[in-house]
Amino acid sequence: MSFRHLRAVTRKEIFHILRDRMTLVLVLFTPTILLFIMAYAITVDIRQVPIAILDYERSAISRSLIQQITAGDDLELFSQVDSFDEIEHLLIQGEIKAALIIDPNFSSDLFSLRGLPIQIIIDGTEPQSGAYAVDHIALRAEELINIQLTRQIQALGLDLDSIQPIDLRIRTWFNPSLKPRVDLVPGLISMVLGLPALSVALTLSHEREHGTLEQLLATPISRVDLLFGKMIPYIFFGLLNVILIPLVAIAWFRIPFNGNFLLYFALSTIFLFAILGLGTIVGVFMRTQAAALALSFLVIFFPGFFLTGIFFPIASMPEIARLEALALPGTHYAIITRGVFLPGVGLDILWPYGVMLLGLGMAFIAIAALFFRKKLA
Amino acid sequence: MLKRIWALVRKEFTHLRHDWWLPAFMLIGGAMELLLIGWATSRPITNLPLMVLDHDRSPGSRELVAALENTNTFRIDEHVSDMAAIESAIERGEINAAVIIPPDYFDMINTSSGTPTLVVILNGAESIPATEAMRTIEGVTREIGERIVLERLNLNQDQLAGFNPSLRVWFNATLSEALYTTPAELGLMLEFTILLFAALSFTRERELGTLEQLLVMPFTSLEIVLGKSIPVILVGFIDFILLLGITNLAFGVPVRGPVPLLLVLIFIYILVELGKGFVISIISRTQHQAFLLVLIVGMIDFMFTGYAAPVESMPEVLQVIANAVPAHHMLAILRGILLKGSYGKGDPEHHG
Repeated sequence: MSFRHLRAVTRKEIFHILRDRMTLVLVLFTPTILLFIMAYAITVDIRQVPIAILDYERSAISRSLIQQITAGDDLELFSQVDSFDEIEHLLIQGEIKAALIIDPNFSSDLFSLRGLPIQIIIDGTEPQSGAYAVDHIALRAEELINIQLTRQIQALGLDLDSIQPIDLRIRTWFNPSLKPRVDLVPGLISMVLGLPALSVALTLSHEREHGTLEQLLATPISRVDLLFGKMIPYIFFGLLNVILIPLVAIAWFRIPFNGNFLLYFALSTIFLFAILGLGTIVGVFMRTQAAALALSFLVIFFPGFFLTGIFFPIASMPEIARLEALALPGTHYAIITRGVFLPGVGLDILWPYGVMLLGLGMAFIAIAALFFRKKLA
Repeated sequence: MLKRIWALVRKEFTHLRHDWWLPAFMLIGGAMELLLIGWATSRPITNLPLMVLDHDRSPGSRELVAALENTNTFRIDEHVSDMAAIESAIERGEINAAVIIPPDYFDMINTSSGTPTLVVILNGAESIPATEAMRTIEGVTREIGERIVLERLNLNQDQLAGFNPSLRVWFNATLSEALYTTPAELGLMLEFTILLFAALSFTRERELGTLEQLLVMPFTSLEIVLGKSIPVILVGFIDFILLLGITNLAFGVPVRGPVPLLLVLIFIYILVELGKGFVISIISRTQHQAFLLVLIVGMIDFMFTGYAAPVESMPEVLQVIANAVPAHHMLAILRGILLKGSYGKGDPEHHG
């Protein structure tokens, strides 16, 4: 490894990026743009779920239930219908996500505490909204039941406290209102910061596609210098994003940053090294940029999104997916970003993840260098 | 004209043959990817690590813990004996939730002498599992609470249908997650495949300097565009069929509606995405730029599909924008034909 050679390759690569302003802007700002898009796409609070109501009873009690359900912003009464067929039609059309059917014996069953004679139908093709509607309706119905229960308890001369036998106190650490945005934005950082890896894969295959790789190899520059020289500019641009993106997260999304920024910066550098290593493997194997692109989508982009535990808990995944998650730098880095942002933990807790990233990075570079040699020999 | 377009199509296929691994990768790799991602993401949330600090150690507290375990949502790692262990585990991110049962839990419930306080600590640093944990714990305690109230009121449980509304899920009776996640993931894969192929088509020729050669030949620009389109459409169609096969065979996603209609609509969708890809292709000077633009455009589309968050809950402005996003309509089509289909008139499954 020669420092002079390394610097020469790095300079050449930086020229490539700076030469065209659009490339520069895209390389610099794509991570931020994607963070914005994804943060807004994923963390929409469910509200205004369109529902239909079929009230077979039409009593004062059923009307008051309907009124309580539709008050507020949670559910939106799309229409109050007269027949089951209409509900069916609206669900198939996708106009409503849930339907509430109140049975004719609603108030008598409720008064005698025989049960809760309402039915809810939800659209199983998009059950998040439906499940939300079910929770909301059940909560309002429970209030009605509690009024009846209270009457009974008073009639029996029991203590009113006995209506609530268990007092559940839920305390949420690090994110008191359980807002998804608070932990998904730090999680997404692990994904968007991995984007430079795709660029590295592209530039390597670019040289091969244009036939300039042979020229480079004819110079006294060693292959390892070439690989590292290609990576360094993107580590540099990546580090600019390591500063920029937390600023966006803190200033725009109001995510608390409780940890040590220097520690975060250091661990981010190791992450960039690891993920760029993965990028060089892709670049070394693929002869054209199109192929490098396709492969980087499959091994870096999609898994980085779905398998790193940002949205889907790794504990619930099948064994194979869990193993792949372990080999993805994003998995370990997502734990680091969440840890630094929210609980603000230090190196005493995060060091295993840093070591893991370092190990993955070295393994990736070793694989890339090995095959680089073989493929060109 | 047809002859000239054919010549151009043949040229494109020569490229594809030369680079055969590119479509092969995209198609087979994409299929494998859908298999893995679909498999990993279409399961209910289970196995969340939970810690229990049981100060009571009574039949009542053991029953509560067993009820929590029976939901399958949790994996109860260990019963700890002090708060410090819980605090440290949450800080390390080792557990998603902890339940603390007070010493007089069973006693208070049995003698109706008070209301025991059950403390739950959630790890908010992972809000999705934490929310699931909260819902599960709330459900379990509500059920236990209801039973206790009924006992106190001397009501017979058999007479009571329960205070839960009866719930039915249409189009997906077992509420299988695969049925709604995998069609959306299929759409995402298909969109990126078409966009990538289309976006690279002109950019690549430009970068390698062969676009000028193509332009000086006696082809009209329409012929060139058509010649470039046909292979992409073909790849897109094959990709769709392959991915649909996987969702059907591996994840049991039915095709309830008319297949010809589905194919026609998918064809139109492929054309729309192809056009978008060509626009990117013409704007970008290098393949690198084209690729980064595909990422941005593709993710904006993904945001509006309704896969991650329902569009109805978005602000008004975004709902209007969503109408201009082809992928939004595509997912409605996929869900409509695959899951809803001819469901309805006279179908006994949901009448009753």
